[in-house]
Order: sequence, then C-alpha cells, then structure tokens
Amino acid sequence: MVENYLIIGGDGFVGRWIVEMLRKRGERSIIVFDLIQKYFDEEIKHYKGDLSNYDDISKCIEKENITSVIHTASPSHDCKYEELFWKVNVEGTKNVIEACLNFGVKKLVYTSSSSVVYDGISELINVDETAPFPQKHMNVYNETKAAGEKLVLEANGRNGLLTCALRPCGIFGPNDMQAIPGFIKVMEQGQSKFQIGDNENFVDWTYVENCAYAHVLAVDKLSKENQTAGEAFFITNGTPLPFWDLVIIASLTELSSNVTGKEPGFTRFRVKFTTTNRYFNINKAKSRLGYEPLVDLEEGVKRAVKSVINST
Amino acid sequence: MASVFLQSIFHPSEIVALVQYKFFRPSPVNFIPPEQKAKIRCYEFLSQTSRSFDAVIRELDDDIRDAVCIFYLVLRGLDTIEDDMSIPIMKKEPLLRNFHEIIYKKGWTFNESGPDEKDRQLLVEFSIIIEEFLNLEKKFQNVIVEITNKMGNGMADYAKNASHQEYGILTNEDYDLYCHYVAGLVGNGLSCIFSASGLEKSELAKITEISNSMGLFLQKTNIIRDYSEDLSDNRRFWPKEIWSEYVDDLADLKKPGYEIKAINCLSTMVLNALQHIPDCLTYLNKLQNESIFRFCAIPQVMAIATLTLLFKNHNVYNSIVKIRKGETIKLILKCTNIYEIANVFRYYTRVIIKKNDPKDPNFMKISMACGKVEQWCQTNIPDIDSYHLSTPKGLDKNDNRLIFVVFIILAFTAYFLGYELNN
Repeated sequence: MVENYLIIGGDGFVGRWIVEMLRKRGERSIIVFDLIQKYFDEEIKHYKGDLSNYDDISKCIEKENITSVIHTASPSHDCKYEELFWKVNVEGTKNVIEACLNFGVKKLVYTSSSSVVYDGISELINVDETAPFPQKHMNVYNETKAAGEKLVLEANGRNGLLTCALRPCGIFGPNDMQAIPGFIKVMEQGQSKFQIGDNENFVDWTYVENCAYAHVLAVDKLSKENQTAGEAFFITNGTPLPFWDLVIIASLTELSSNVTGKEPGFTRFRVKFTTTNRYFNINKAKSRLGYEPLVDLEEGVKRAVKSVINST
Repeated sequence: MASVFLQSIFHPSEIVALVQYKFFRPSPVNFIPPEQKAKIRCYEFLSQTSRSFDAVIRELDDDIRDAVCIFYLVLRGLDTIEDDMSIPIMKKEPLLRNFHEIIYKKGWTFNESGPDEKDRQLLVEFSIIIEEFLNLEKKFQNVIVEITNKMGNGMADYAKNASHQEYGILTNEDYDLYCHYVAGLVGNGLSCIFSASGLEKSELAKITEISNSMGLFLQKTNIIRDYSEDLSDNRRFWPKEIWSEYVDDLADLKKPGYEIKAINCLSTMVLNALQHIPDCLTYLNKLQNESIFRFCAIPQVMAIATLTLLFKNHNVYNSIVKIRKGETIKLILKCTNIYEIANVFRYYTRVIIKKNDPKDPNFMKISMACGKVEQWCQTNIPDIDSYHLSTPKGLDKNDNRLIFVVFIILAFTAYFLGYELNN
C-alpha cells in the first residue's frame, strides 16, 4: 500500500528533518502542513493553515487522502502567550484527531515531550514510561503537551486509527533556535559562574536527526502486534551527560567565532533545568520501535556547532 | 605498617578502615591436614606468587577454593614461560601450545627458566601442581584444560608474530585479543568453575562476552599503569593505533616537551578501558554466592580506583602509580553487595568527570562513558539511591566508635613519642 504522509509542523525544526528523511528513502507522497512556509520543494505539497481551525487541517487530510500523520507542531516552550499553548497543543490536536477519524487516517504519531512527567521539583533519574504525569505540571507548555498526548493516545483504536506519542528530551542540532546558541550566549556572558553544585547532575539530549528517525520508525512500526499502538516512548540519545559538559564543549568548539545567539542566555526555566538530574530509560523505544541513535552525541554537537558558526 | 597509616593521615575514613581490617576482622582459617603436603605447598606457592590473589582465593568457599587455586597456579606457570625472554621461540612455542597436555604428565618439571624469572621455582616444582590438579574433580579439570589450551595457543600466536615482537600491539582489535588471551579467558574459566560447582547458575558460564570484559577491564588498567615498567623491559602493550595519533614512538610519551600529548594519549587509553564497566557491573550483579562475589568484586574496585588515579596523571610515564593501602583496605571492606560496588563505581566515575578537561580530545566520549555507568546503576538497581540514604546511619555509629579507638591510639603514640624526645 502506498502511504500518503502528512507532516504537521513540517517546516519546524524536527518536522523538517522528518520530511527530509522520508524523502531520502524515496517516499513519493509527502505533504506538509504548517503555519508558515519556509521550504519550497517541488515534489512536496505544502498547506499553509492554522491548526486551531478544523477546516484548515481537515481539508488537507481529505484532499490528499492522507494515511499517516506525524504531528510535530507546537509553539516554542518559551513563547509568552499562554493561551496559544492551549490553542495549538490541545485544541489543535483535537482537530487533528477529529480529522484523522473522519477521513480514515490509519496512523497518527504525536511529538510529545519528556517534560510531560516533570513537576519542576523532582529529580528525573532514569525515568521510564511507567512514571505518571505529575499532579501539577511545571508550566503551561508541559501541561498542554501532556493534555495533547493524552488525547492522542485515547484516540487509539477508534475508527481503525492507531496512535502513539514520542517524548524526546533536549533536542538540539544544526539550525537549532533554542539549545545551542543559548548555551554559547551563557558562556560568553560569563554566566557559567552560576554552575551549581558539582556537575553531578546527568541530563539527556537528543540529536535532532535521531529524534526524526524515531518518528519515522514509529510510523513504520505502529501496530497492535508490535505493542506500539496507544503507547508513549521516551526518546533520547541514550547517553546522559553531566550537564555542563555539553555546554562547555559546544562553547569551546565555537570559541574562535563570535556568535551572538538570538536567545536570551539564561531563563529561569533553564536554571531549573540545569540543576536537577533529568535523564530517561529508553529501553522501551529500543525494544518495541527498534530505535538506536544514528548519530552519537559527540558527532551531533560537532554538527550543531558547525552550523551555528557558519550562520554568522 | 606505620607508613601505611601515615599515607592515610588526611583520609580519616581510611585510618578507620585500616584499624578495622587489622584488628576487627577474623582472618580465614583453612585447615589443611599436615599429610597433604602437595596441597600445602600449592598454597605456599599461591602466597608467594601473588599476595592479592592469595587473600581473595583463601576466602572462597571450600567447594571451589582448591580448583581456583590450581587454576591460578597452572596459568601462572604458563605465564612464566610466556614472559621469559631467555627461552628461544623455537622452544617456547611448543611449550605454550602443549601446556594443557603437560598438566596431565605426572612428574613433569621445568628447570630452564631464566635466572631472573621470579616464579621460576614454581616450574621447578611443577609436578606438585600437577599432582593436585589430578586430584581435582573431573568437571574442574576440564575447565582448566580448556582454558589452558586456548590461552597457550593465543600466547604462542602472539609470541610468534614478528610485528608484535618489533612494534608491540598494533590495532585496538589486537589489543582486545591479546587481553582476551591473558585475562579475558581467566574470566571465562572462573565463570565455568563457579557454574560447575553449582554455587552459581549455569548461565554464568555462557555469558562469555561479559566475563571476558571482567578480565579486560583489569588487564587494561594494569597495562596503562605499567607503561614505564613494561617499556623498560621492552614490552609494548599500548596499541599503536592509539599512541600513533600522538607520537611517532611509544617511548616519546615520557619525554619532556610531549606532556600534553602524553596526557591526551593517556585519556584515550583510559576511555578504552572505561567502556568495559557496564559489562563488569552486569557480571557482578548476576552473582549469588557471597564469597564468589567478594572474590570477583575486589579486583574490579581496585581497578576502577587505580584507573581514576591514572587518569590525567603524568606520573604514569615515570613511575608506578598506586592507590594508597588505606584506600585499598577501605575498598575491600566495601565489597559486600552490588549496591556498595555500584556506588564505588559511581563515586570514581564522578571523580573522573571532575578531572575531565574540555580541552581533551576525548572529553565528550569520557563523559558519555561515565554517564553510561550512572545509567547502568539506575536501570539495573532502581533502588540504589534509597540504599545510599538508608545505610550511612548504621555505618556512622560504627565509624564513631572506631574513630574514638584510633584517637586513643594516636594520643598514646604522640605521648610516647614526646616522652622519648624529651628524654
């Protein structure tokens, strides 16, 4: 059967990598839905639209006879408008599910976040998928990502639709607007004196290509028999690092150039982020999805930093 | 003994451990009837050839102690022949390849070791080892023969290889293979003995890759530590694939002007060894018998402590770097269960993280290797942190008492020293 893929948020950071990966393996029918269009490829059809508008997304799914949807769209977690998180992550996701059910989509893969299990206080030490959502989420981003994930997983099995959710942690990579330039800024401004404790807190990272690869695997392996339908999976590079090690190496690698990232260096969220353990057990993704990182952390940092240097 | 205490003067917990070890620990009494002269002689050889193995072997359960002791002595005999540069290869090769048959030849002895071989006497009286070997149960004999056969042939292949003779070990693959022959096989063989005795599950004999890692981790740590000693004897075990990235000749590493390269090369060697740790922990986590656990765990914790001390330590190139006796004893006392061992490993990998330097080309890889140890602990021993929290209380009480005793001893010593000086 020929799959018609729809990548929602396909012009975004992770979404674009998924599009590229599908294209590289020779998929003929790839459709992108996004708020804005950043990439113009001849063979990829692009729908510009707003997820919070049901007609925008349902028309796309109906018209293109979509069979598999990968939903990566979300406002960036430092977006200031709280209502936007609800509008996109919850209402928008509801619309995606509705449209999938109404127009016979077979598979829906949702990009959730590892932070759905984070309460902002507790340590996350080698956490696996048996961990519950916290009573109170740390922020509205986490809360709405969790709500979206719940909706997606509950839709599994309805009308022949199979769903699963991926929870990546600390995605970074070339052209990354969040992680790496922010770190470099921190170092430049000498904020690393805020290094708290003794660098004994371990943190997980995910190189963006690995994250994209997990999505492609999820679509391919989504079935009842694989025990993947209705399930959530943590996705990381599988090699937690003492937090500051990645920051330091990223900064050293670019030392010669003078990068001024657009991100403010050190938001409150990031301070919190850096002083607790935050790493996950990804055995479920390994055994059920067959996930193994394609690019190791060291190589990933090299590629990411190189792109930061080249872009300035 | 006094100097051992002095070394640990700034590490009070080690003083406590030393006192505890010396005064509060029953030493094992293994009675051998006086008529079993051969067996008595074997244990004498054991204590002469290796003090560290002697101690751990003596504490093993009765069912396996003799088998492990003879296994050790047979391999020691083989090793003495391999090591001996005065035996020409024409003579050495058949000895190594046939050693597994020699151990069935009653009365066989060997008097041609070089005068400097410190264990030459073992071969002079080797008939005694053979006699005791033949007294072992068949199931243990079979393991010893199989491993001796593999090791002897591996050593012979290595000794015959001309490029090894000239350049030492070439690739990382060679390095792993060499370490497999001289140490990994010991891990395989011991696992078979443990399984055959029924003290451990039969599965243990089958996880050969993991028991191999146990040997590799120890051997690689020793190879790093012994750089200067080996080089002065013209033995080259550091793989060329690693050092050639930094210098043209292995001996350059210790020369002035090469300090940074030497430290970076050392990091590559340490990283290579670190990667075996998750396997070692997996192995230890499978053990059920307390005496076997201690027997296996003690060398492993010594190795991680040593490796941590070697990391970033330029003295490796001029001297033999060793951990303090007090630290050793403290570690030996900790070898009681997997929680303690995992915490020891976590402690040392965190020290490595602290010593790690972003300017080191292996910085990230070392970080990742240490992160793997951390994650192994949390995945395989999920309640490790609660163990950590629940134990110190009990230990503290004990410690306080011991600290009190130590201070009394120190006070008396100071008093008498002062008394002598005044007079």
